[in-house]
Amino acid sequence: MAATVERRERIIDCNPAAKACGIRPGLAVSAARAILDTLAVAERDPAAERDTLERLAAWCYQYSSQVCIPDDRDGLLLEAGASWRLFGSPQQLAQRLQRELGQLGYHTECGSAPTPEAAWLAAGQHLHISAQGRIRQQLGVLPLEQLALDTARIKAMERMGFRQLRDLLRLPRRTLTRRFGPSLPEYLDRLLGILPDPRLFYHPPEEFASRLELPAEIHACQALLFPLKRLLGELCGVLRGGDSAVQSVHISLGHEDHEDSTVQLGLQSPTQDTDRLVGVLRERLERLRLPQAVREIRLEAPHLLKLRAGQGTLFHDTSAEQRQDIEQLTERLQARLGNGAVAGITGVEDHRPEYSWRTRTLDEPARSTALAHRPAWLLPRPRRCAIQDYDILAGPERIESGWWDGRDCRRDYFVVRDPRGSLLWAFHEYKPKRGWFLHGIFA
Amino acid sequence: MQNKALNNLIETTPQLWKGRRVNHRQQTLSTGYARLDARLPGGGWPLGAVSEVIVRQPGLGELSLLSPVLSRIGEAGQWVVLVDPPWLPYPPALQARGIHLGRLLVVRSRNEQESLWACEQALASGRGGALMAWPERIPFSRLRRLQLAAQEHAKLAFLHRPERALEAPSPAALRLKLEPGGNRGTRVDLLKCRGSHPPDPAWIRFSEYANTPHHTSGHEPFAANAPRSLLAGRAPATPRAGSVHPRDAGTGDTGRGGRDGRAPRTDH
Repeated sequence: MAATVERRERIIDCNPAAKACGIRPGLAVSAARAILDTLAVAERDPAAERDTLERLAAWCYQYSSQVCIPDDRDGLLLEAGASWRLFGSPQQLAQRLQRELGQLGYHTECGSAPTPEAAWLAAGQHLHISAQGRIRQQLGVLPLEQLALDTARIKAMERMGFRQLRDLLRLPRRTLTRRFGPSLPEYLDRLLGILPDPRLFYHPPEEFASRLELPAEIHACQALLFPLKRLLGELCGVLRGGDSAVQSVHISLGHEDHEDSTVQLGLQSPTQDTDRLVGVLRERLERLRLPQAVREIRLEAPHLLKLRAGQGTLFHDTSAEQRQDIEQLTERLQARLGNGAVAGITGVEDHRPEYSWRTRTLDEPARSTALAHRPAWLLPRPRRCAIQDYDILAGPERIESGWWDGRDCRRDYFVVRDPRGSLLWAFHEYKPKRGWFLHGIFA
Repeated sequence: MQNKALNNLIETTPQLWKGRRVNHRQQTLSTGYARLDARLPGGGWPLGAVSEVIVRQPGLGELSLLSPVLSRIGEAGQWVVLVDPPWLPYPPALQARGIHLGRLLVVRSRNEQESLWACEQALASGRGGALMAWPERIPFSRLRRLQLAAQEHAKLAFLHRPERALEAPSPAALRLKLEPGGNRGTRVDLLKCRGSHPPDPAWIRFSEYANTPHHTSGHEPFAANAPRSLLAGRAPATPRAGSVHPRDAGTGDTGRGGRDGRAPRTDH
């Protein structure tokens, strides 16, 4: 059970279990402890809250290009009208945000209204106000303490007998100014949309860094998957917001008294797809050895790359999709088997068969001359054989090459059949060794 | 009504064996060999299923058998993944068979477990394309998992397996075995076809050399330049030809005494 505390040692928030025992926000910590001596109290960390809000702003940027972090309160304002066609009505968008942020581990309260101040109040009530004319009616019943005004002023108004927002709205503007100063009527005008309410919009960052302090130490690598998934999900939201992508992600795992363990996720191509990153992560974790329990996780993506048209999931064409699939497969395989374990092949201009191929990365083009009378498989190295055991079916084909690099050879190649019916490729070498060798299989 | 539902179920479940009636619902891709297509249920390689290719020793045309379909897969922009091929793929020869090098991925694992895991990963990635693997031992349950992954992702999965794989039952949709078929080429025995009785074997000449008769003495054009020592001292009682398969390496394989008794040569 946990609760959050401010400087004056009051409970600010608590989880449902604490609530069930009678702990309420506003309670003094000493009183709360008296109710429940096992209460776990966590101190409030405003800097961390701000960081979180900023990350969430970056994440929300995928749904609205106008995101605002108000200085004086804990929440975000999003402009939802412009993205109506893409994401549906504000109500639908809110549901989506709640669902997706819930998956990232955040509890959210959403509401919408035609003006930012009204939307702020609506969020607390889970209201969706569709027209400016309805603000007065729908928010009028709100108690004054809900308004975004400082507490001293609200207390003063309550002493004068005002209880609800509509009590204030009923008064003429002049009276309000006289009693409470000009800022209150201005606030009400912004609330109702009579005065414009310009905001400073948030700009998504060029890099991403997020930190998660674990509520309990994690000893098993696989148990790291869940919190990391959450951080990667957050990262990908930010990437979608900024039309950007990552190709590498750096994860540091903090231990109590040991140097951080690090995990590097490298991809074949930039992505903003959580599943793809999680796929690579899963393999990495399987091979990770933890020197100690993990206490905190930091995830950094130092370079957010601009996503080029065609790279994203917006442009589907089978070949690009296939390419993505194979890249993801390659990443997963490499994460577990090692980078050298997965490769393409390509031909190399060399007459000596053993030097006429090499591995290639998927970015390199593959090319080769076509030689019809050659076997599909080469033995990893030529194997000495007794040629009298084989039927010679075709040959010889003279291959003489390599005098320039010191690996010169002179060979006559033959197609042979072994006693059991296999078609093989054998050569008689004159230089550097003498003798008969098997070199390939006509499979 | 119930009948209709039942029929529908029967028609749409390729796993269901329906006596002699061939289940045409199985999606297939032509093998590129008319004789084989004619015998296979649905007229080709079963799509979304594991096919086992069983050979006692390599070099009977097991890759030629698959070349046409692998070539088509590459043309369609799909990928062919080779998991732990026992030998090195030789680009000029693959190119000549129409296999797209640019759509070929080779995976090298360190042990059997990883190899099977890589196979599963390959089958569970994206849609379409093919897997080729050479598993030594593979338990029924793993084979079944491969089969399910292939089915779900519409893959062609070709497993090259040794002859002793026949001792155990298999959930694969297709099992075929290659045997040297003398001058008729290679005999393709269809041991198991899901959805039909196993048809008669097909003979296919995979290589222009396949119908070359045994004993080369009459083939001066080919043998003319061969050293004399080649032609001397032929046909020892026990051939010392070693196996080229790594799994047989060092087993002191002595072959099966003497040359195979083959059909008399019919030159043309």
